[in-house]
Amino acid sequence: MNFIKFALKNGANDVVIEKNLSETKQVRFANNNIQIFKNWNTEIIRIFLSCNKKIVNTTIFDVSEKSVKNTISNLIKSAKFIKPNQDYAGIAEGPFKYKKIPKNFDKKIVNINLLDITEKIINSALENSKNTAGIVYTDVGKRELETSTGIFASEKTTAIKLSVRAFNKDEETGHAASCSRNLNSINPEKIGRKAGEISKLAKNPEKLESGKYDVIFDPLSAANLLNIVGVYSSVFFVDSGMSFLRGKLGKKVANNIINLIDSGTIANGFYSSTFDDEGVPTKKTTIIEKGILKNYLHNTSTAKKYKTKTTANAGLIVPRPHNIILRNGKTSKEKIFKGFNGLYITNVWYTRFQNYLKGDFSTIPRDGIFLIRNGEIVKSIKEIRISDNLQKVLENIKNVSNKPEWIIWWGLNFQIPVFTPFVLVKNVNITRSTM
Amino acid sequence: MLDLVKKTLRYAEKISDYAEVRFENAKTNKIIIKNGNLEATEINKSFGISIRLLKNGFLGFVSTNDLKLSNLKQYVNKALKLAKYSKNILKKPIILSEEKTFKDKYTVKQKTKLENVSLEDKIKKIFEIEKELLKTKIKLPIRFFEYVDETREKIFINSEGSLIQSKIPRITFEYIITFVSNGFSEQRSFQYGASGGWEQFKKWKLKQKILDEAKILPKIAKTKKLPTGKYDVILSSELTGIASHESCGHPYEADRILGREAAQAGKSFVKKEMLGERIGTEVVNVVDDPTVPNSYGFYLYDDEGIKAQRRFLIKNGIINSFLQNRQTAAEFETNTNASSRANEWFSEPIVRMANTFVLPGNYNFEELLETIKNGVYIKSFMEWNIDDKRYHQKYTGLESYLIKNGKISKLVKTPALEITTPAFWSSIDAVGKDLGFIAGFCGKSDPMQPIPVWLGGPTIRLRNIVLV
Repeated sequence: MNFIKFALKNGANDVVIEKNLSETKQVRFANNNIQIFKNWNTEIIRIFLSCNKKIVNTTIFDVSEKSVKNTISNLIKSAKFIKPNQDYAGIAEGPFKYKKIPKNFDKKIVNINLLDITEKIINSALENSKNTAGIVYTDVGKRELETSTGIFASEKTTAIKLSVRAFNKDEETGHAASCSRNLNSINPEKIGRKAGEISKLAKNPEKLESGKYDVIFDPLSAANLLNIVGVYSSVFFVDSGMSFLRGKLGKKVANNIINLIDSGTIANGFYSSTFDDEGVPTKKTTIIEKGILKNYLHNTSTAKKYKTKTTANAGLIVPRPHNIILRNGKTSKEKIFKGFNGLYITNVWYTRFQNYLKGDFSTIPRDGIFLIRNGEIVKSIKEIRISDNLQKVLENIKNVSNKPEWIIWWGLNFQIPVFTPFVLVKNVNITRSTM
Repeated sequence: MLDLVKKTLRYAEKISDYAEVRFENAKTNKIIIKNGNLEATEINKSFGISIRLLKNGFLGFVSTNDLKLSNLKQYVNKALKLAKYSKNILKKPIILSEEKTFKDKYTVKQKTKLENVSLEDKIKKIFEIEKELLKTKIKLPIRFFEYVDETREKIFINSEGSLIQSKIPRITFEYIITFVSNGFSEQRSFQYGASGGWEQFKKWKLKQKILDEAKILPKIAKTKKLPTGKYDVILSSELTGIASHESCGHPYEADRILGREAAQAGKSFVKKEMLGERIGTEVVNVVDDPTVPNSYGFYLYDDEGIKAQRRFLIKNGIINSFLQNRQTAAEFETNTNASSRANEWFSEPIVRMANTFVLPGNYNFEELLETIKNGVYIKSFMEWNIDDKRYHQKYTGLESYLIKNGKISKLVKTPALEITTPAFWSSIDAVGKDLGFIAGFCGKSDPMQPIPVWLGGPTIRLRNIVLV
C-alpha cells in the first residue's frame, strides 16, 4: 500500500489502513430442514486517520486505488472542520515482531462441506429430540494492516461455529453451541447430542416460586454473563458509564476464586489474532485476579490517558476483548453437582440493565432449567427470570469446574467468544411473572 | 448500476426457478461525543449486491461488493452448486407465495438534505446539548451521545418482473446520561429516529428534552422503592411502544411462528390457529405500519418488492393477522403483507416489523387519571426483556409517580411489571388520544440484523396490576 504516504502527504498525522478479505458461509436450518445457504464474499478497506487529534475513520467497499485515495482526501478535508479529540494520544509505534498463533488457520475449513456438518448436528440432536434449528458457519479471512508508525502485519484465519437448538415439545428444549479456528477441535455430533439430551431432560417443565436459589450455570449460560463482564472491562464502556466496573480498579468485584482474563493469543481461540486493530501484537491480559479488578482493556491512546500500557485490545475507537476466559477450577463437573441443591440453568438470553453503573440487571433462562436435589434432577422448570446485580453474582460465585468450553452464539450480548467452565453461584435472585 | 443489476438477474434467472437481485448504496455519517469530547467521526460509503435464488426448493443467497459481472456470475454458480448437494437432506422444498409484481421508484423528501448540512454543523448542534447540560448544577459526569445519518439507495429486481428503486434518508440520535452523587447513580438512555432530512433532528428539540430528563435524575436517586402491591397503572407511550413491539409485533412474526428463528430469537406462543382468538380487551388495537410518513421504519416496498401496507395485528382485542413474507405466506396459504426486510445489502430479507404501535383512543391524560385511587404512572423505563416465546415480559420504570385519588403524587423508584402477554393486553381498560413513538434497532436473524423501527402508541391505563 502506498496509501499511508499519500495520507501523510495530505495532512494526516496518524494513519492505520487495514485490508480485509473474507469468504463466509452459513447453512441455516429449522424444522430439521435447510432454510437457506448463504455465502458472503467481501473485500473492504478500513481507514483510520488523525489530523491534529481530529479523528476520522471509514470503511470503504470500492477498494480501487482511485477510490481509496479519494476517500483519504475527503476524510482529511472533513477533519479540518471538526473538533479535536482531547483524549487522543496517538497510535502504537512499530515495527513489531509477531508470534504465530497456533491453530489459527485450517485448510480443511476452506473447502468444507457445510451440509455434511449440518446433517451430523441434526441427526445427533434428533437421537433425543423431535425437532431442530440452528446454524453452521465458516469463515476464511485475510487481514493486512499498515500504519504510519512503521507497522506492517498480516494474517490468515479460519473459523467455524455451530449452534443448535433441539425441541421435543415447545417448552422442552435444549441448546448447545461451540466455535473453533480449526475443524478437528469441534465436534458437531457432541454439540447436537448435548442439545438433544437437554431437551429430553426438560420434559414437562413446571413453574417455580420466586426467591433466592443457588444456581449452577452451564458454560452456555455462564458465557452470557461473562461476555458482558469482559466487554464492560473495555475502557470505552467504563468511560461511557456503561459498566459496573467503573472506578473499581484494584477493588474487589468478584469472589476470590475468580480469575478472568482476555487473551488474543490462546491457541484455537475463536478471535485469537496475531495483532490488534492498530497492529500491536496481541497478548494475555488479566481483567480480574483473585476477585480483584486488575485491568481495563486499552488501545495505545486510551492507555496513555490512563497512564498505563496498551493491552493490545484496539478497536481504535472502542477497545474490545479477543477471547474472554474464566480460569477453570479443579473440581470436576460431577463433583460440583454432587450433593447440590438448587437450579441448573443451561442457557440465558436477553440480558438488560436498569443501571449499567450499578450493574442491576435481569436475564431470561431458556431451554433446560432444572431443580436439583442432592445432585439429582427432580424437576424441569420453566418461566423464570434472574433479576439481580452483576457484581453480586460475581461475588457469590462459589465454585468453577475444571473443563472450560468455547462458546459463541447469537444470544450473547456481544459477539465475543467466551471460554468458560460450569459456574456455581449462591443466592441468585429468581423472579417470575406475577400475573 | 441498474444495467449491471439487470444483467446479473438475467444470468441468475436462466439457471434458477426464481431469482432476485438487490443493490444497495448507503452513505453514513456517525458522530460520537463522550463526556464533552468528540471521540470520533465516521464517514462511510457502503455498497454491494446480493442475489437470492430458488432452485428445486433450495434457497441460496450470495452477496459481494465485487461488482464485476463475470465474478457475480461465479457467485451465482456457487450458490446453485450447493442446491445439488442439498437434495439429500432437503426434506421440504422452500416455496414462495404467488404475488403481484410492482414497478416503482420513490424517494423520501428532505426539506433540508442531510448532505447539505456540514459535519461541522451537525457536531455543533450536538455540542449545544452538551453545553446546556453543563450549564446546570446537576452532577452528570458521564454523558454519551451518538448521532448517525444515512442515505440508502436500493434497486430491487426479480425474475417475475418487479423493479423497485428507492432512496431513504434516515437519522437517529441516542444518548445515555448518568447522574452520580454521594454513592447514588441514576441513568437514562433514549433513542430518537426518523426518515427524512435534517428538519427531523430539529423537530426533536433535544436540548430541552434531555435537560428535562437530566433534572429528574437526582430526584429519582433520592426516591424510595415502590412497595410491592396491586396498583392501577398508567403507561406512557414509551412503555406502550415497547410492549407493542415485544409482546405483539414479535410473536406475530410468521417466521417465528413457523420455527425459522427457533435457534436465535426463538419461537412464539402464538400459533396459526389462534387467529381470531381474543388476546386483549375491546379497546386494544395494535398495528404495524411501514407507511407512516417520516417514521424510522418507513418503506413503501419491502425487500421482496411488495407494496407496503398497514397490518392490523390486534383488532378490538382479537388476534387479526401476522407479519408475513413470501416464504411464510406460502406456508400459511395466504399472501405476504410486505414484511420482508434486510438491514444491509449483504443480509437475507426476513420477516421484520416496521413501526408497531397501539392505535389511539379517546381519553386525555386527566381522564385516565381521575378514576384511579391507588396507582402508578410509569413515564419512562430502562430495563426490559421478554422470553423467547414472547409470553413473559418485564418492564422496569425509571421516572415513575404514585397516583393518589386521581392525582399525580410523589416519585417512586423502579416499579417493575413482570407479566404475561395475555394478562398485559387484557388489563387495558382505557386508551389515550395521544400518540408518541420511540426509535430502536430491532434485533433478529443470524448474523444479527439490527433494523430501524418505531415503537409507540398512546398513554394507556391497566387495572389491578401487581408491581414489584
